[in-house]
Amino acid sequence: MTAFLIFLAAGIGTFAIRLSGVLLLRDRELPPRIAKGLSLVGPAAMAAIVANALLLDEGAWRGFGAWHLAALVAIGVAVWRRTSGVAMAAGAVAFAALLLAGL
Amino acid sequence: MTASASAAEIPSARRDFWAGARAVATLMPGAVLFGLAFGALVRVVGIDPVTGFMGSVMVQAGASQIAILEALRANAPAVIAVITAVVINARFALWSAAMAPIFAPFPTRWKLWLSYLMTDQSAVITLQHHERYPDPVRRRRFVHGAESTFVGVWLIGTAAGVTLGPVIPDAWQIGFIVPLMFISVLVPGLHGAPALVAVAVAAVTVVVAKDLPYGLNVLLGSLAGIAAGAFVPDRRRPDPHHPDDGLAHDAAAGE
Repeated sequence: MTAFLIFLAAGIGTFAIRLSGVLLLRDRELPPRIAKGLSLVGPAAMAAIVANALLLDEGAWRGFGAWHLAALVAIGVAVWRRTSGVAMAAGAVAFAALLLAGL
Repeated sequence: MTASASAAEIPSARRDFWAGARAVATLMPGAVLFGLAFGALVRVVGIDPVTGFMGSVMVQAGASQIAILEALRANAPAVIAVITAVVINARFALWSAAMAPIFAPFPTRWKLWLSYLMTDQSAVITLQHHERYPDPVRRRRFVHGAESTFVGVWLIGTAAGVTLGPVIPDAWQIGFIVPLMFISVLVPGLHGAPALVAVAVAAVTVVVAKDLPYGLNVLLGSLAGIAAGAFVPDRRRPDPHHPDDGLAHDAAAGE
């Protein structure tokens, strides 16, 4: 029961956060710099998630190995082919190969 | 619409919905795997499987759900578990602000429903593709297709995880799917000095602030990247019809 109530409270809080901008900013004309900042939410948030997941492991530096090398493969293929599906497949194959190689 | 227009050109609710689903499809394997991992952890921690599944229905944000399970396993106070989850999910305030102009013409009930279904991945896909849908009704169907199918596979993954338990060996290190998923979406369309600066500042800030609790370094990194990029001038004159958001607008769809 406690777990259910914790999930419920977290769900309500998260829903309020998800709704915040959509409701508060709806038809308002935003200053150009704020509008430009909002257009950068995607790249900035994704880069933050990638850096946190790739370079850190529960707050400490991740030891250099398969994660970094496979990520470099994915980045290289993404720059080269400019398609996300191919980049993802290349990264996954590289990661599996590196793990099998014992890295 | 002229009489000579082919049937393929006639917009239909189903076509826009499935266009959204197809656009987010490359990211779905990650959602299934993480749903499996979360569901398996529910079993390991010893929570009722139905309650664990309902956690995915109510919260729909994997990292925060795993944090709740870890708090329960450590017998942390309930209030700490809730606050930790909400702080981890604070980044959704940024996605929500970015969605505001895109959702603005939608009826309120749709704003509520689409906000409830919002995930990092579907928000990214919406930002990439919304300009193709100047008609609000078609745009709403596209967003709904991307969001609801993505949450759908997350729930399927969770259901499988709570049913099967820990079937994915730790040695597979499925956590790698997180950076891989976002690298695949971010890098192909990355262009323009403001977006490049935003990415660099966000990444550096995340590692410099690595000792912050509750994953707050991710939120701080995002904010720092946005703020830095907003002050970098665009090299070319901005085109009001095609605002440069530093994301690809042709990637991911139907790949």
